[in-house]
Amino acid sequence: MTADSEREARFAGWLEEHGGILHKIVRAYAKDAADQADLHQEILLQLWRSLPAFREQAKPSTWIYRVCLNTALTWSRGTAQRARRIASGMDFAHIASEAASPADRTADRELLGQLYVAIRTLSDFDRALVLLLLDELPYREIAEVTGLTENHVGVALTRARKRLAALMKGVIDELE
Amino acid sequence: MNWNDYEAVWRRQEPPVGAGADLSVLRQSFEAKRRKLAATLWVRDIVEASAGLFGAAAFAAIARHQEKIAWPIMIAVALVLGVTGSFVRERIRTHRQKLGPDAPLLAKLEAEIAELRHQRRLLLGVWKWYLVPLTAAIVIVCVTISLNRPPWDLARDPRFMGSYFALVALLMWGVWVINRRAVRRQIEPRIEELEKLHRDLLSLS
Repeated sequence: MTADSEREARFAGWLEEHGGILHKIVRAYAKDAADQADLHQEILLQLWRSLPAFREQAKPSTWIYRVCLNTALTWSRGTAQRARRIASGMDFAHIASEAASPADRTADRELLGQLYVAIRTLSDFDRALVLLLLDELPYREIAEVTGLTENHVGVALTRARKRLAALMKGVIDELE
Repeated sequence: MNWNDYEAVWRRQEPPVGAGADLSVLRQSFEAKRRKLAATLWVRDIVEASAGLFGAAAFAAIARHQEKIAWPIMIAVALVLGVTGSFVRERIRTHRQKLGPDAPLLAKLEAEIAELRHQRRLLLGVWKWYLVPLTAAIVIVCVTISLNRPPWDLARDPRFMGSYFALVALLMWGVWVINRRAVRRQIEPRIEELEKLHRDLLSLS
């Protein structure tokens, strides 16, 4: 197997197994479809580029979280205009369309839509922490992705969780 | 609604159909983007370096035609090459210090703060490594040439030379103001924001 085909096989395997991580991060950092497509493409590009540097010292999922979150953080700071778009995440008209469009009014989708809107309103770093927490990564792995100590991870997660809960309350109150 | 509900709904979500990637299309797109980026960086580096080299070459050409007074002009050439060298050194430093996309988020944040502080130092000190050497080079060349002209030549006219130097000074002042404004409006707010985020992350309370 050549180095190129090995790289392609590993990349395809990662997408197959961990494609959900990309999807969630893209949705948490980019609001509309065009931005989501742009960020998705950028993350794929960075993952592909980073592949040769992967040395199996970390779990593939940890590596993928790091690359995806770093790319998303850089992307969201990309332009002032884009930053403003994301910062104004409390766009209740958008919440209504995302959370309860006529086509999908299932309770799950509604709650999930509200959750994403609240997550997008968090600061960049809190957003990353909440995503890792919701994906049920152990503290040790969250520490590896973020570079924080496990002690700090605990404190930071408690704070981020409280902020998200408060935001969710605001989003739900606004919609009712 | 509580955290458990959020976790449950989060677990149940599925990536949209077609969320994967067609490798051949991706590969083409990656290669196209990579080539475009490499070309952009190459052009930028060449333009930056060649602007200085062009200036230095122009001064060197003047020196060649002014054999008797070549040495002051060679000082100007050295000053312009020094400015070009600063650009090149800065480009190499940025390239070496760049963290990979797999770095931990905190390390990336700290690197970004350090880079912004460095940019602030560079821009606030732009007079040291850019404005003063460049102005000195222009003044040296102009004064050297004007002193070797006949008295009736325009280059010996104090009003003409005064206006010329005033224009150069105005231009340099404009560059200095633009740099200070960039620091005040873009870099400092960003540093404050990231430092606050950093403090917030590392506080244990």
